[in-house]
Amino acid sequence: MTNITLSMHLDELCLSADISQEAINAVVEYGIVTPLEGDTLSEWVFDLESAHWIKKAIKLNQELQIDWVATAMVINLMRQKQQLKTENNQLKIRLSRLL
Amino acid sequence: MEFKDYYQILDVDENADLKEIKKAYRRLALKFHPDMNPDEGAEEKFKQVAEAYEVLKDDTKRAEYDEMKRYGSSSTKGFEAPPGWQTSGDFGAGNSGSSADFSEFFNSFFAGGKQGFRQTEQQEPDLFKGQDLDMEVPVFLEESVSGVTKHLEYQVPVFDGRQTQQIKKSLKVKIPQGISDGERIRVKGQGAPSQGAAGGKKILNGDLFLHIRLVPHPLFDVQGINILLTVPLTPWEAALGTKLEVPTLDGKINLNIPANSHSGKKLRIKGKGLKSKTIQGDLLAILKIDIPPSTTNETKRLWEQLAEVEQYNPRTDWSN
Repeated sequence: MTNITLSMHLDELCLSADISQEAINAVVEYGIVTPLEGDTLSEWVFDLESAHWIKKAIKLNQELQIDWVATAMVINLMRQKQQLKTENNQLKIRLSRLL
Repeated sequence: MEFKDYYQILDVDENADLKEIKKAYRRLALKFHPDMNPDEGAEEKFKQVAEAYEVLKDDTKRAEYDEMKRYGSSSTKGFEAPPGWQTSGDFGAGNSGSSADFSEFFNSFFAGGKQGFRQTEQQEPDLFKGQDLDMEVPVFLEESVSGVTKHLEYQVPVFDGRQTQQIKKSLKVKIPQGISDGERIRVKGQGAPSQGAAGGKKILNGDLFLHIRLVPHPLFDVQGINILLTVPLTPWEAALGTKLEVPTLDGKINLNIPANSHSGKKLRIKGKGLKSKTIQGDLLAILKIDIPPSTTNETKRLWEQLAEVEQYNPRTDWSN
């Protein structure tokens, strides 16, 4: 059977996405994600949703050459958009049941 | 192999300085980045732009590219570098670290060395990891309640040093009980194989990330750990009250509809929702009043009789 996990340690994340600890530190510092556990950088563990946004934030920061404040704002808007899209789809289904 | 005109891709003159190249890249990156532009073909265009910038932003790579552009030749077999052409930088062909996202042209002449968009100088790693893959997995509500083993089929990009081929792979994954819409699962080592070099370096496969998508249920909706069920009623059932048999995720139960129930009223059935690690959700039955689609003369007469007797006006707010 396959080995599944629902979280990632900082080292695994760095290796997985070929990103530096400094970049992950910036993502946390700018409030884009919060570690699931760990008091110090080397102990940080992230849930997979946060890991997904860390990768996306660092990719956008580097590929679009924008600063961390802009990155945090873009990620925040992207998350809001995703949440609203999901909610909208759910409400459409519920509305169709009531009509 | 097809020649890539990086100047044309970035829409800059061959004499453009680094500032102009950077400006062109930023403009096109914002326009075509897949997170900014959902249009078909935007991602491919972004990859081309990123590849062109990767070469033109670097003085050494750019000088070699210019030389190749000037003296290289195209034949029916495609582009060929000038005779005896060799790279002089640390990105020579045959090095490790080529990019599966970039073209065969790039990987043949400019791959290797310091790659991509790393911000900090990094040493050659001791471990090479393959590309992670993402996949959406539809899960039925009943499956999320009980847990399920899913048989997945997907394609893994395998880079042979010159081009990327898609290899089919199948896998059985146990989806844990209680998984919800939007959650992610990491399957270790089931992503793309490492492109890493030999020479005593460790290699590791990438991971497979599963993004769970709950399939809409024909009867139930999910709201957090609660389940919503729309219960259609006739007007007389809503007015007089009734006892109904309603479906839940684990069988049918009897539900008392109180008299004078209005459309949209929610009745809570404790403990019949989803289960989280610590709490048990409820089933919320939402009442919906349905009018019979056709009316017989007898029914019409009864409705008219009701209209004469009943003084209720649902639009009293409108009179203000």
